[in-house]
Amino acid sequence: MTSTRTTAATAAADEAGANQIGGSKVVEDLKISRFAPFRNTVITIVNLTLFFTAWEIVARAELVNPLFFPRITDTFEAIYTGFRDGVIGPELQHSVSNLLIGLVISAAIGIPVGLFMGASKTADLLLSPYVWAMTSLPRVALIPLLILIMGFGNQMQLTIIVLSAVFPIMVNCMAGVKTVDPSLLRAGRVFGTNSFQMYVKIIFPFTLPFVISGINQGIARGLVGMLIGELLGGGGAGLGFLLDRAGDRFDAPMLYATLLLLAVMSVALVQLMRWLERRVAPWRDLPS
Amino acid sequence: MARTAANDRPQAALASPEASRIEDDRETVIVADRVTAGYENRRAKTRLIALRDVSLEIRRGEFLAIVGPSGCGKSTFINMIAGFLKPLEGTMTVDGKPVRGTGADRAMVFQDYALLPWRTVERNVQFAMENRGNRPSKAEQAERVAEALGLVGLTGFEKAYPHELSGGMRQRVGIARALVTKPAILLMDEPFGAVDAMTREAMQAEFERIISQTRQTVIFITHSIDEAVMLGDRVAVISNRPGTIKEVVDVDLPRPRLEGDAKSSPRFAELREHIWSLLQDEALGAKEAK
Ligand SMILES: Nc1ncnc2c1ncn2[C@@H]1O[C@H](COP(=O)(O)OP(=O)(O)OP(=O)(O)O)[C@@H](O)[C@H]1O
Ligand SMILES: [Mg+2]
Repeated sequence: MTSTRTTAATAAADEAGANQIGGSKVVEDLKISRFAPFRNTVITIVNLTLFFTAWEIVARAELVNPLFFPRITDTFEAIYTGFRDGVIGPELQHSVSNLLIGLVISAAIGIPVGLFMGASKTADLLLSPYVWAMTSLPRVALIPLLILIMGFGNQMQLTIIVLSAVFPIMVNCMAGVKTVDPSLLRAGRVFGTNSFQMYVKIIFPFTLPFVISGINQGIARGLVGMLIGELLGGGGAGLGFLLDRAGDRFDAPMLYATLLLLAVMSVALVQLMRWLERRVAPWRDLPS
Repeated sequence: MARTAANDRPQAALASPEASRIEDDRETVIVADRVTAGYENRRAKTRLIALRDVSLEIRRGEFLAIVGPSGCGKSTFINMIAGFLKPLEGTMTVDGKPVRGTGADRAMVFQDYALLPWRTVERNVQFAMENRGNRPSKAEQAERVAEALGLVGLTGFEKAYPHELSGGMRQRVGIARALVTKPAILLMDEPFGAVDAMTREAMQAEFERIISQTRQTVIFITHSIDEAVMLGDRVAVISNRPGTIKEVVDVDLPRPRLEGDAKSSPRFAELREHIWSLLQDEALGAKEAK
């Protein structure tokens, strides 16, 4: 997208002659190596390889009790056999689908309510005590109550994810609307926007990056909520359940295998959001 | 830009200084009647008076330049005409009606550009045409955008985003956006503040040419006395806060001034000197007050 934009501008500038000052070009072609995009990937691969090798060496030397610190090869093997024997697969699927459903529900509630709170002083005044209380209350505190209400089922696990993720999303959307540059609002008024157009053309685009960083925080909080629900909710499913069981059985490779999967899962989600952020807000020129 | 200006203009205006004077029988468009304006600070429970008792009549097709020290209420005044701000006392009328909000008859160039960062240059200019009813067809919009960008010398940057432009270029996008609808009244808050001296002069010439054709009414805030005298039919000098109108100076220089090299005329120097001394009193007054 960036490249098409630049070339279009360049071509037009050439045409107008604006590109030529005293016979020297203003827009020049960049010489970028074909391998430049892979540079970071290569560095990351080398970096991880070194890290895992060091891990293996330390584990083999048994500097730490192998009960707490298994070899990385054993950990990878646990992942492999776990998937092969159908131990990990269903639990991973359970967790991921719960998290995604929870995030979608959170966004569906959090974004409109947050936008509304940002735009209406009355709504803000009436709702904000509850929103702030819920934003700062540690999620774990809610578990006993939720179990009391909903029992140990999946419903309770989903609820805790939504309760974790929805408030950061809400608060960020609200902050976004409140910080809309007043002179952009004036420009909107001068050039005749009605309130619907004002929302669609100015307030929402301005707020979009805030929405995305809200969702980012929502992902982080939602993951915590998901684990809390699975560890303490006693539902007998999900990665949290795997962790719990591996701990009970002193199965260190499985424990580490699950932690590794959780790390991969959260990094993947955060990367996805960063990619999305660059797609929807190219004007912000984010560092890649 | 400047080179296209001189060709097809009626030469009568050059004949005598008298011809360029504002004829007093032209109808008034904007009337400020003993306007006082200010801003409330609810926390401190105070009210800052930015302008006090300002009365001014602006005639149709007139070019009024406003000069005054920083913070004297120039933007406040223009914001009231735009309809962002209501007078605390007095009335502001446009076309005989008290100003209630913005209108299609008035466009504004903002001191801080106020471009939409997520829109390209051409889409920013287009923004002026796409919101109100009876909007022009897509093809006509595109044509007018191209024309407006040509006027401000930004052809070739249609697809660029504001963050890819220099400050002066952004300001010119803001000017194109205000010109594109050809509104009856142009409100310009330091429109050439961020461009260099040479570009500025070229744009002034271009602008003088455009206005002489469209006969738009222009309220033009500037910090440059030269610019005020070069462009204005009259120059309103505003005093320090709370701003009052210190004097409205008639600029009896023949047009076109930028083409006609009015800068070297003795009358130009005189007017400039006069406004300078008015402002100097203000600057000194501000120091003594401290
Ligand atoms: N939104 C606002 N809230 C409170 N006070 C304001 C606001 N806008 C302006 N003022 C005050 O009103 C006074 C006049 O401001 P204004 O912006 O009209 O000045 P100005 O003549 O345009 O100055 P400059 O040449 O620096 O742009 C200033 O003292 C400023 O502090
Ligand atoms: Mg100002």
